[in-house]
Amino acid sequence: MRRLDPSVDVASDGPATCPYCGSEETTREHPRGPSLCKSIHYCNSCEESFEKMG
Amino acid sequence: MSDAERPDEAGADLPDETFEGEPRYCSYTEYSAGTGHPDLPRTGEGASGIERRVWDVLYEVEDPEMPVSIVDLGLIYNVYVDSASGEARVDMTLTYTGCPARDYLLSSVERAVESVDGVEDALVNLVWSPEWSVEMVTEEGREALREFGVSI
Repeated sequence: MRRLDPSVDVASDGPATCPYCGSEETTREHPRGPSLCKSIHYCNSCEESFEKMG
Repeated sequence: MSDAERPDEAGADLPDETFEGEPRYCSYTEYSAGTGHPDLPRTGEGASGIERRVWDVLYEVEDPEMPVSIVDLGLIYNVYVDSASGEARVDMTLTYTGCPARDYLLSSVERAVESVDGVEDALVNLVWSPEWSVEMVTEEGREALREFGVSI
């Protein structure tokens, strides 16, 4: 059986704050970004994607 | 991969790779809120002379992916300079053990420190304890990251 990418298990601790508008109306789209120390988020308020450290 | 090339999962005779009991590949480092460390990050506050100059060049070394100094990222744990012999030692960490920029960062730091007037030899000592966490990022680092569009 194909093994699940373990990174999808990474716990999320609360919503990320959007670096552009400061909103916390954000959702995590993926636990890993283009670099492994960042995750990918989306701001529902200003409709921008952004990365979060950690 | 097309379906024709995809191994038949039900019938595939592949080992079930769980890696239990073996060293785990480090790219899956789990990030969670840390507690930080009372003595870290170090920013060179109060340093003078050669040590001050070493801190100044360390501030100029940036993360290869983000316009933020490695000092403001909280990667530098200590700087020692023996002013008599000109030997310098930098204790630093990385944000995770499998960081692909490891060699790049370590050699950048070594070169930067060796360029300091009064430093004859630089040793970069990679340490993993205490473990780096986002709490070690300085206020200046947080500001630089937010400006770049990275939430912290």
